[in-house]
Amino acid sequence: MWRAHPDTALIPYLHGELAAEEGVALRAHLEGCARCREDLAAAESVIREVAHRVEQIPEPDWTVYQYQLRRKLNARRGEQVRRWRPGLAWASLAAAAVATSAIVLAFALSPGPRPPAVDQLEVEGALADADIGLLRDYPVVAHLDLLENYDVIENLDQLTPPSRPHAVSGS
Amino acid sequence: MGPSDEDLCARIAERDAQAFDLIVERHQARTYRLACSILGNEADARDVSQDAFIRLYEAAHSFDRRARFSTWFYRILVNLCIDHQRRNRWWRKVVPLATPDDDPDAIQLDPPSTEPGPLDEALRRQSVEQLNRALGGLSAHQRTAVLLQAQQGFTSKEIAAVLNCSESTARVHLHRAITHLRKVMKDE
Repeated sequence: MWRAHPDTALIPYLHGELAAEEGVALRAHLEGCARCREDLAAAESVIREVAHRVEQIPEPDWTVYQYQLRRKLNARRGEQVRRWRPGLAWASLAAAAVATSAIVLAFALSPGPRPPAVDQLEVEGALADADIGLLRDYPVVAHLDLLENYDVIENLDQLTPPSRPHAVSGS
Repeated sequence: MGPSDEDLCARIAERDAQAFDLIVERHQARTYRLACSILGNEADARDVSQDAFIRLYEAAHSFDRRARFSTWFYRILVNLCIDHQRRNRWWRKVVPLATPDDDPDAIQLDPPSTEPGPLDEALRRQSVEQLNRALGGLSAHQRTAVLLQAQQGFTSKEIAAVLNCSESTARVHLHRAITHLRKVMKDE
Protein backbone atom coordinates (compact mmCIF):
# COMPACT_ATOMS: atom_id res chain seq x y z
CA MET A 1 0.00 0.00 0.00
CA TRP A 2 1.26 3.48 -0.88
CA ARG A 3 1.81 5.64 2.19
CA ALA A 4 1.42 8.90 0.24
CA HIS A 5 -0.15 9.75 -3.11
CA PRO A 6 1.93 8.01 -5.80
CA ASP A 7 2.22 11.08 -8.02
CA THR A 8 5.36 10.12 -9.92
CA ALA A 9 4.19 6.55 -10.45
CA LEU A 10 0.93 7.43 -12.22
CA ILE A 11 2.35 7.82 -15.73
CA PRO A 12 4.53 4.70 -15.48
CA TYR A 13 1.43 2.86 -14.25
CA LEU A 14 -0.54 4.17 -17.19
CA HIS A 15 2.05 2.73 -19.60
CA GLY A 16 2.46 -0.56 -17.76
CA GLU A 17 6.01 0.17 -16.65
CA LEU A 18 5.62 -0.74 -13.00
CA ALA A 19 6.65 -4.06 -11.57
CA ALA A 20 3.75 -6.46 -10.95
CA GLU A 21 3.61 -5.94 -7.18
CA GLU A 22 3.90 -2.18 -7.52
CA GLY A 23 1.12 -2.14 -10.11
CA VAL A 24 -1.21 -4.13 -7.89
CA ALA A 25 -0.51 -1.81 -4.95
CA LEU A 26 -1.15 1.27 -7.03
CA ARG A 27 -4.39 -0.13 -8.42
CA ALA A 28 -5.53 -0.75 -4.87
CA HIS A 29 -4.62 2.80 -3.93
CA LEU A 30 -6.52 4.21 -6.89
CA GLU A 31 -9.67 2.37 -5.88
CA GLY A 32 -9.72 4.26 -2.61
CA CYS A 33 -8.28 7.64 -3.70
CA ALA A 34 -10.43 9.99 -5.79
CA ARG A 35 -7.64 12.56 -6.02
CA CYS A 36 -5.19 10.13 -7.62
CA ARG A 37 -7.87 8.87 -10.02
CA GLU A 38 -8.47 12.45 -11.07
CA ASP A 39 -4.72 13.09 -11.41
CA LEU A 40 -4.33 9.97 -13.53
CA ALA A 41 -7.14 10.96 -15.87
CA ALA A 42 -5.76 14.51 -16.13
CA ALA A 43 -2.24 13.26 -16.88
CA GLU A 44 -3.56 11.00 -19.61
CA SER A 45 -5.49 13.91 -21.09
CA VAL A 46 -2.46 16.27 -20.97
CA ILE A 47 -0.22 13.75 -22.69
CA ARG A 48 -2.83 13.17 -25.39
CA GLU A 49 -3.23 16.92 -25.88
CA VAL A 50 0.52 17.52 -26.09
CA ALA A 51 0.88 14.72 -28.64
CA HIS A 52 -1.96 16.23 -30.68
CA ARG A 53 -0.48 19.72 -30.62
CA VAL A 54 2.99 18.48 -31.54
CA GLU A 55 1.39 16.87 -34.59
CA GLN A 56 0.05 20.31 -35.53
CA ILE A 57 3.54 21.74 -35.97
CA PRO A 58 3.81 22.52 -39.68
CA GLU A 59 6.36 20.46 -41.52
CA PRO A 60 9.06 22.03 -43.66
CA ASP A 61 9.49 21.09 -47.30
CA TRP A 62 11.32 17.81 -46.87
CA THR A 63 13.00 18.04 -50.27
CA VAL A 64 14.60 21.35 -49.27
CA TYR A 65 15.36 19.97 -45.82
CA GLN A 66 17.15 16.93 -47.22
CA TYR A 67 19.02 19.03 -49.76
CA GLN A 68 20.28 21.34 -46.99
CA LEU A 69 21.23 18.34 -44.87
CA ARG A 70 23.17 16.76 -47.72
CA ARG A 71 24.98 20.03 -48.38
CA LYS A 72 25.89 20.42 -44.70
CA LEU A 73 27.12 16.84 -44.54
CA ASN A 74 29.27 17.29 -47.64
CA ALA A 75 30.71 20.51 -46.24
CA ARG A 76 31.51 18.76 -42.97
CA ARG A 77 33.18 15.86 -44.75
CA GLY A 78 35.15 18.35 -46.86
CA GLU A 79 36.42 20.01 -43.68
CA GLN A 80 37.52 16.69 -42.27
CA VAL A 81 39.35 15.80 -45.49
CA ARG A 82 41.08 19.20 -45.44
CA ARG A 83 42.11 18.62 -41.85
CA TRP A 84 43.74 15.27 -42.70
CA ARG A 85 44.60 14.22 -46.24
CA PRO A 86 46.44 10.91 -46.19
CA GLY A 87 47.52 11.35 -49.83
CA LEU A 88 49.05 14.75 -49.18
CA ALA A 89 50.76 13.52 -46.04
CA TRP A 90 52.35 10.60 -47.90
CA ALA A 91 53.50 12.91 -50.71
CA SER A 92 55.17 15.26 -48.19
CA LEU A 93 56.85 12.32 -46.49
CA ALA A 94 58.14 11.00 -49.83
CA ALA A 95 59.48 14.43 -50.83
CA ALA A 96 61.32 14.74 -47.51
CA ALA A 97 62.84 11.26 -47.96
CA VAL A 98 64.04 12.09 -51.50
CA ALA A 99 65.62 15.36 -50.33
CA THR A 100 67.42 13.62 -47.46
CA SER A 101 68.71 10.87 -49.79
CA ALA A 102 70.00 13.48 -52.26
CA ILE A 103 71.96 15.29 -49.52
CA VAL A 104 73.44 12.05 -48.19
CA LEU A 105 74.43 10.92 -51.72
CA ALA A 106 76.02 14.28 -52.50
CA PHE A 107 78.28 13.99 -49.45
CA ALA A 108 79.09 10.34 -50.10
CA LEU A 109 80.08 10.87 -53.75
CA SER A 110 82.05 14.09 -53.27
CA PRO A 111 85.89 13.50 -53.99
CA GLY A 112 87.10 15.32 -50.85
CA PRO A 113 88.87 18.68 -50.53
CA ARG A 114 90.38 19.85 -53.81
CA PRO A 115 94.00 21.22 -54.08
CA PRO A 116 94.00 24.96 -53.87
CA ALA A 117 94.36 26.84 -57.12
CA VAL A 118 97.73 28.38 -58.09
CA ASP A 119 96.61 31.93 -57.61
CA GLN A 120 95.57 31.11 -54.09
CA LEU A 121 99.08 29.72 -53.37
CA GLU A 122 100.70 32.91 -54.51
CA VAL A 123 98.45 34.98 -52.35
CA GLU A 124 99.09 32.78 -49.35
CA GLY A 125 102.89 32.97 -49.92
CA ALA A 126 102.85 36.73 -50.07
CA LEU A 127 100.80 36.90 -46.92
CA ALA A 128 103.19 34.52 -45.15
CA ASP A 129 106.14 36.67 -46.13
CA ALA A 130 104.44 39.71 -44.75
CA ASP A 131 103.53 38.05 -41.47
CA ILE A 132 106.85 36.41 -40.67
CA GLY A 133 109.12 39.34 -41.49
CA LEU A 134 110.51 39.27 -37.97
CA LEU A 135 111.51 35.63 -38.28
CA ARG A 136 113.85 36.59 -41.07
CA ASP A 137 115.76 38.58 -38.45
CA TYR A 138 115.70 35.64 -36.07
CA PRO A 139 119.48 35.73 -35.34
CA VAL A 140 119.05 39.23 -33.93
CA VAL A 141 115.97 38.37 -31.94
CA ALA A 142 117.71 35.26 -30.60
CA HIS A 143 119.99 37.46 -28.57
CA LEU A 144 117.33 38.09 -26.01
CA ASP A 145 119.67 39.58 -23.51
CA LEU A 146 120.04 42.50 -25.87
CA LEU A 147 116.43 43.30 -25.25
CA GLU A 148 117.27 44.22 -21.70
CA ASN A 149 119.57 46.96 -22.99
CA TYR A 150 117.33 49.85 -23.82
CA ASP A 151 119.98 51.50 -25.89
CA VAL A 152 120.12 48.43 -28.09
CA ILE A 153 116.39 48.32 -28.29
CA GLU A 154 116.15 51.89 -29.33
CA ASN A 155 118.72 51.26 -32.10
CA LEU A 156 117.44 47.86 -33.07
CA ASP A 157 116.77 49.01 -36.60
CA GLN A 158 120.40 49.84 -37.11
CA LEU A 159 121.71 46.42 -36.08
CA THR A 160 123.08 44.27 -38.84
CA PRO A 161 122.33 40.59 -38.68
CA PRO A 162 125.35 38.26 -38.81
CA SER A 163 124.23 36.45 -41.91
CA ARG A 164 121.05 36.61 -44.02
CA PRO A 165 121.15 33.76 -46.49
CA HIS A 166 117.63 34.35 -47.88
CA ALA A 167 117.58 38.10 -47.53
CA VAL A 168 116.06 39.94 -50.34
CA SER A 169 118.07 42.93 -51.37
CA GLY A 170 116.33 46.24 -51.28
CA SER A 171 113.47 44.95 -49.08
CA MET B 1 8.60 -3.70 -43.33
CA GLY B 2 12.07 -2.38 -44.10
CA PRO B 3 15.32 -2.92 -42.29
CA SER B 4 15.39 -1.99 -38.61
CA ASP B 5 16.88 1.31 -37.46
CA GLU B 6 19.65 -0.62 -35.77
CA ASP B 7 20.57 -2.39 -39.02
CA LEU B 8 20.48 0.88 -40.93
CA CYS B 9 22.75 2.44 -38.34
CA ALA B 10 25.25 -0.38 -38.82
CA ARG B 11 25.18 0.26 -42.56
CA ILE B 12 25.65 4.00 -42.01
CA ALA B 13 28.76 3.18 -39.97
CA GLU B 14 30.09 1.61 -43.19
CA ARG B 15 29.21 4.83 -45.04
CA ASP B 16 26.15 3.49 -46.83
CA ALA B 17 24.55 6.66 -48.23
CA GLN B 18 21.30 4.88 -49.07
CA ALA B 19 20.89 3.71 -45.47
CA PHE B 20 21.48 7.26 -44.29
CA ASP B 21 18.82 8.63 -46.65
CA LEU B 22 16.40 5.97 -45.47
CA ILE B 23 16.90 6.72 -41.80
CA VAL B 24 16.56 10.46 -42.43
CA GLU B 25 13.27 9.92 -44.23
CA ARG B 26 12.05 7.68 -41.44
CA HIS B 27 12.89 10.03 -38.58
CA GLN B 28 12.94 13.53 -40.04
CA ALA B 29 9.38 14.49 -39.09
CA ARG B 30 9.57 13.30 -35.48
CA THR B 31 13.07 14.70 -35.09
CA TYR B 32 12.08 18.08 -36.46
CA ARG B 33 8.90 18.27 -34.36
CA LEU B 34 10.68 17.28 -31.18
CA ALA B 35 13.38 19.91 -31.82
CA CYS B 36 10.71 22.46 -32.64
CA SER B 37 8.81 21.69 -29.43
CA ILE B 38 11.94 21.94 -27.30
CA LEU B 39 13.33 25.05 -29.00
CA GLY B 40 10.04 26.77 -29.84
CA ASN B 41 11.50 28.01 -33.12
CA GLU B 42 11.19 26.48 -36.58
CA ALA B 43 14.44 27.80 -38.05
CA ASP B 44 16.47 26.60 -35.05
CA ALA B 45 14.62 23.28 -35.11
CA ARG B 46 15.56 22.79 -38.75
CA ASP B 47 19.26 23.52 -38.11
CA VAL B 48 19.55 21.50 -34.92
CA SER B 49 17.67 18.48 -36.27
CA GLN B 50 19.91 18.48 -39.35
CA ASP B 51 22.95 18.67 -37.07
CA ALA B 52 21.59 15.65 -35.20
CA PHE B 53 21.52 13.65 -38.44
CA ILE B 54 25.08 14.73 -39.21
CA ARG B 55 26.16 13.58 -35.74
CA LEU B 56 24.37 10.32 -36.40
CA TYR B 57 26.34 9.87 -39.61
CA GLU B 58 29.63 10.63 -37.88
CA ALA B 59 29.00 8.59 -34.74
CA ALA B 60 27.12 5.60 -36.19
CA HIS B 61 30.11 3.35 -35.50
CA SER B 62 29.77 4.04 -31.76
CA PHE B 63 26.19 2.76 -31.57
CA ASP B 64 26.57 -0.58 -29.80
CA ARG B 65 22.97 -1.85 -29.84
CA ARG B 66 22.78 -1.98 -26.04
CA ALA B 67 19.98 0.58 -26.26
CA ARG B 68 17.31 1.10 -28.88
CA PHE B 69 18.41 3.22 -31.81
CA SER B 70 15.72 5.80 -31.05
CA THR B 71 16.94 6.24 -27.46
CA TRP B 72 20.50 6.70 -28.68
CA PHE B 73 19.57 9.08 -31.50
CA TYR B 74 17.13 11.22 -29.51
CA ARG B 75 19.76 11.61 -26.84
CA ILE B 76 22.00 13.17 -29.49
CA LEU B 77 19.15 15.43 -30.57
CA VAL B 78 18.14 16.48 -27.06
CA ASN B 79 21.74 17.27 -26.11
CA LEU B 80 22.09 19.44 -29.21
CA CYS B 81 18.82 21.23 -28.39
CA ILE B 82 19.86 21.88 -24.79
CA ASP B 83 23.31 23.09 -25.90
CA HIS B 84 21.67 25.35 -28.45
CA GLN B 85 19.37 26.80 -25.80
CA ARG B 86 22.25 27.42 -23.42
CA ARG B 87 24.27 29.17 -26.11
CA ASN B 88 21.35 31.38 -27.09
CA ARG B 89 19.91 32.03 -23.64
CA TRP B 90 21.17 35.61 -23.48
CA TRP B 91 19.78 36.29 -26.94
CA ARG B 92 16.34 34.95 -26.13
CA LYS B 93 16.17 37.35 -23.19
CA VAL B 94 16.42 40.21 -25.67
CA VAL B 95 14.31 38.75 -28.48
CA PRO B 96 11.11 36.90 -27.53
CA LEU B 97 10.36 33.41 -28.83
CA ALA B 98 9.78 33.53 -32.56
CA THR B 99 6.39 32.73 -33.94
CA PRO B 100 6.18 30.83 -37.21
CA ASP B 101 5.35 34.09 -38.99
CA ASP B 102 8.70 35.55 -37.94
CA ASP B 103 10.69 32.91 -39.78
CA PRO B 104 12.09 34.47 -42.96
CA ASP B 105 12.17 31.03 -44.58
CA ALA B 106 8.62 30.19 -43.60
CA ILE B 107 7.19 30.78 -47.05
CA GLN B 108 9.81 28.62 -48.67
CA LEU B 109 10.03 25.87 -46.06
CA ASP B 110 6.66 25.51 -44.45
CA PRO B 111 4.11 24.52 -47.03
CA PRO B 112 1.47 22.41 -45.32
CA SER B 113 1.52 18.75 -46.23
CA THR B 114 -2.22 18.86 -46.96
CA GLU B 115 -4.05 21.98 -48.04
CA PRO B 116 -6.18 23.20 -45.17
CA GLY B 117 -8.30 26.30 -45.41
CA PRO B 118 -7.29 29.58 -43.78
CA LEU B 119 -9.36 28.85 -40.67
CA ASP B 120 -7.79 25.43 -40.19
CA GLU B 121 -4.38 26.94 -40.66
CA ALA B 122 -5.11 29.71 -38.15
CA LEU B 123 -6.34 27.19 -35.59
CA ARG B 124 -3.32 25.07 -36.12
CA ARG B 125 -0.98 28.02 -35.68
CA GLN B 126 -2.86 29.00 -32.53
CA SER B 127 -2.57 25.49 -31.17
CA VAL B 128 1.19 25.44 -31.81
CA GLU B 129 1.63 28.84 -30.20
CA GLN B 130 -0.31 27.70 -27.14
CA LEU B 131 1.86 24.62 -26.94
CA ASN B 132 5.01 26.75 -27.17
CA ARG B 133 3.74 29.04 -24.43
CA ALA B 134 2.81 26.13 -22.19
CA LEU B 135 6.12 24.36 -22.77
CA GLY B 136 7.97 27.65 -22.30
CA GLY B 137 7.22 27.53 -18.57
CA LEU B 138 9.04 24.22 -18.15
CA SER B 139 12.71 23.49 -17.64
CA ALA B 140 14.53 21.91 -20.58
CA HIS B 141 14.50 18.50 -18.89
CA GLN B 142 10.81 18.67 -17.95
CA ARG B 143 9.90 19.73 -21.48
CA THR B 144 11.98 16.98 -23.02
CA ALA B 145 10.55 14.37 -20.67
CA VAL B 146 6.94 15.17 -21.47
CA LEU B 147 7.61 15.44 -25.20
CA LEU B 148 9.42 12.11 -25.35
CA GLN B 149 6.53 10.57 -23.46
CA ALA B 150 3.80 12.19 -25.55
CA GLN B 151 5.41 12.11 -28.97
CA GLN B 152 7.62 9.03 -28.86
CA GLY B 153 5.88 6.98 -26.19
CA PHE B 154 9.19 6.58 -24.37
CA THR B 155 9.19 4.80 -21.01
CA SER B 156 10.61 6.47 -17.89
CA LYS B 157 13.71 4.33 -18.30
CA GLU B 158 14.23 5.51 -21.87
CA ILE B 159 13.60 9.14 -20.90
CA ALA B 160 16.19 8.70 -18.15
CA ALA B 161 18.66 7.34 -20.72
CA VAL B 162 18.08 10.32 -23.00
CA LEU B 163 18.38 12.85 -20.16
CA ASN B 164 21.27 11.00 -18.58
CA CYS B 165 19.60 10.84 -15.17
CA SER B 166 18.07 8.20 -12.91
CA GLU B 167 14.69 6.70 -13.68
CA SER B 168 13.18 8.22 -10.53
CA THR B 169 14.46 11.67 -11.55
CA ALA B 170 12.92 11.21 -14.99
CA ARG B 171 9.59 10.37 -13.33
CA VAL B 172 9.79 13.54 -11.25
CA HIS B 173 10.50 15.62 -14.38
CA LEU B 174 7.52 14.05 -16.07
CA HIS B 175 5.20 14.55 -13.12
CA ARG B 176 6.15 18.22 -12.67
CA ALA B 177 5.79 18.88 -16.40
CA ILE B 178 2.33 17.37 -16.50
CA THR B 179 1.22 19.24 -13.37
CA HIS B 180 2.33 22.53 -14.93
CA LEU B 181 0.78 21.81 -18.34
CA ARG B 182 -2.47 20.71 -16.73
CA LYS B 183 -2.71 24.06 -14.97
CA VAL B 184 -1.80 26.08 -18.09
CA MET B 185 -4.17 24.18 -20.36
CA LYS B 186 -6.98 24.57 -17.84
CA ASP B 187 -6.48 28.34 -17.92
CA GLU B 188 -6.62 28.57 -21.72
